[in-house]
Amino acid sequence: MSELFSEAILISILAGTVRIMTPILFAAIGELVTQRAGIWNMGVEGTMLMGAFTAYIVATATGSIWLAVLGAMMAGAMMGLLTAFMTATMRVDHFISGLGINLLVGGLTLYWFRIYIKGRAQPTFDGFDNVAIPGLSAIPWIGEILFTQRLLTYVAFAMVPVIWFLLYRTRWGLELRCLGENPKALDIKGLNIVRRQYVAVLIGSVMTGLGGGFLMLGFSDRFLADITAGRGWLAVVAIIAGNWMPRGVLAAVLVFALLESVATHVQVLGLNVPHQIFLAMPYLASILLLMGLRRKTNQPVKLGIPYFR
Amino acid sequence: MTDVATYPRKRLKLERRVNPSFSWTFTMYLAATLLGLALSALLLWTSGADVVKAFSTLLTGAFGSQKAWVATLSKATPLILTGLATVVAFRAQVWSIGQEGQVYAGAMGAYLGCLMFAGLPVWLYLSLIILSGMIGGALLGSIAAWLKDRFDVNEIISTVMMNYLIVFLLSYLLGGGPWTEVASTVVYQQTGPVPALSELPHLMGSKKLHLGFVFAMVSAVICYVLLEKTPLGYEIRAMGYNPVALAYRGTNIGRTIILVMAISGAIAGLAGVSQIFGTSHRLRADTLYGLGYTGIIIGMIGGLRPLGTVVAGIVFGGLASGALYMKLLAKVPSALVPAMEGILLLTFLCAAVAARYKFVRVGDVDV
Repeated sequence: MSELFSEAILISILAGTVRIMTPILFAAIGELVTQRAGIWNMGVEGTMLMGAFTAYIVATATGSIWLAVLGAMMAGAMMGLLTAFMTATMRVDHFISGLGINLLVGGLTLYWFRIYIKGRAQPTFDGFDNVAIPGLSAIPWIGEILFTQRLLTYVAFAMVPVIWFLLYRTRWGLELRCLGENPKALDIKGLNIVRRQYVAVLIGSVMTGLGGGFLMLGFSDRFLADITAGRGWLAVVAIIAGNWMPRGVLAAVLVFALLESVATHVQVLGLNVPHQIFLAMPYLASILLLMGLRRKTNQPVKLGIPYFR
Repeated sequence: MTDVATYPRKRLKLERRVNPSFSWTFTMYLAATLLGLALSALLLWTSGADVVKAFSTLLTGAFGSQKAWVATLSKATPLILTGLATVVAFRAQVWSIGQEGQVYAGAMGAYLGCLMFAGLPVWLYLSLIILSGMIGGALLGSIAAWLKDRFDVNEIISTVMMNYLIVFLLSYLLGGGPWTEVASTVVYQQTGPVPALSELPHLMGSKKLHLGFVFAMVSAVICYVLLEKTPLGYEIRAMGYNPVALAYRGTNIGRTIILVMAISGAIAGLAGVSQIFGTSHRLRADTLYGLGYTGIIIGMIGGLRPLGTVVAGIVFGGLASGALYMKLLAKVPSALVPAMEGILLLTFLCAAVAARYKFVRVGDVDV
């Protein structure tokens, strides 16, 4: 095990952690907005998968990864519209509609993928490169870990204070949080509930789609069925474990990403332990985190409860 | 609500139907089916496939001959079971999606039983294998229920996570672990064949249909009786409607949730047993994959009723079996079927809501 703690490996694990955080962070911070508005989107996994798939198709078809990023966000928006239609307009149970969306996307992406690669070798693309921030990246250790990352990683981290500001320092954010706590108050004031729910779901879904896109473009060069492998679910767990606060969500995402980064490095090092144990760590940790959780003080009171006037 | 009058304009408002009529409900579900089929046709058309040929080969492959029917029923067997597992859990408003993992746990439990009890008389051997499979599924289900009851862990999330964990466990056992097939040079991620004595007997001389189908039918009847005719079934349904009232009545909600999840898990586990000892005759992951998730769709489309679930299970078994035929003749990827299933689920969800509500114009009525 001593090898695991050599300097180079440690830096690589931590830099990997920051990179692995990116897609989950996009989804978790975005869905925080959705959940604060009282919509419990259980279709995060499916939305993320759709984002990843669309990014793959656009990247291989056009060769432009920035178009692919745009495509992933559009795909997220489409899934968001569907989610909002089911939850805000039709008022289907949020859990059930989310499950439906996950199953739909699993089927659709697989079908379209098979059509796309029919009769040819699976096309690949060139993903993102690291962008070193001048000056900061020269700092020993820290520069390599924090400031030699993909461009979108910086964006993901920047979104945490941005979302915090929007939620807690603007009138818009106040009304949105009120939607999760006491929608009747907004309704009596004559403010449009459904429109605000649509906006909240769209913000979450676009960011989740973007996270899926990054997962595709930042880590891989080809699509696999179920490539998200539960990361959307981890984002949902991160929101609960983070007690619906941006800071807490960031911390929870960090835990999951660190575990996954260690797992990938253990595989490379070839330790004589079944690698499945390490791969299972983030999923196990999510259950343990939820078990140990005693504070749910910030859970929106009306989370997941459809609003009827 | 008295402040409706403050709204200057008339608005549409959803109102719950007190007693939706059968014909209205039926119309809604028919509309959902047609809309789902139309959307699937659109999906086929946009991907450049011959829509008519795809649908007709799908239908012929599913229900076109006696042979097709046998294949359909054999594909439907595990799906009906996972569908029933969904019904038991969802009727109690326990949103478990752990059926997928419980199928794996059932298969693993049964395989363990098959190793442990070798040498017993065949009827005892088979019974113990089936029992250990059901225990495997029930155990995994109860863990999620216990987490919900004791630690207030959301059951959707815990069951999803356990679905992943159990797949990793199986991957370890089959890929380098103690259950890896020996004497094979290539690693296939599977065990060796199970003893011939442990195979589920076939029905009516068919090579595909096996005793598992009888289990599915019996389970459907048991589920119906359990839900509609027993005190526990009453508690399950009451928990779905009003858990608070049930708690005041003196029912131990935590115990009921654990029982519900154990029953649901046992039924899903049976699906795993039936796949391994009826169809593939060795433990491997690919014959188990997706059964639990499809079962959720089937249970939901079946209206969370045992009879509806059997019907939906046979229809979806037909789709799964016809898909192979469609792939061969119409050159359409069989992945169309899961996509169709997802589309149909969403249209049915909307229909279920539409059947329960009607639009009224606020202002016209006395609210």
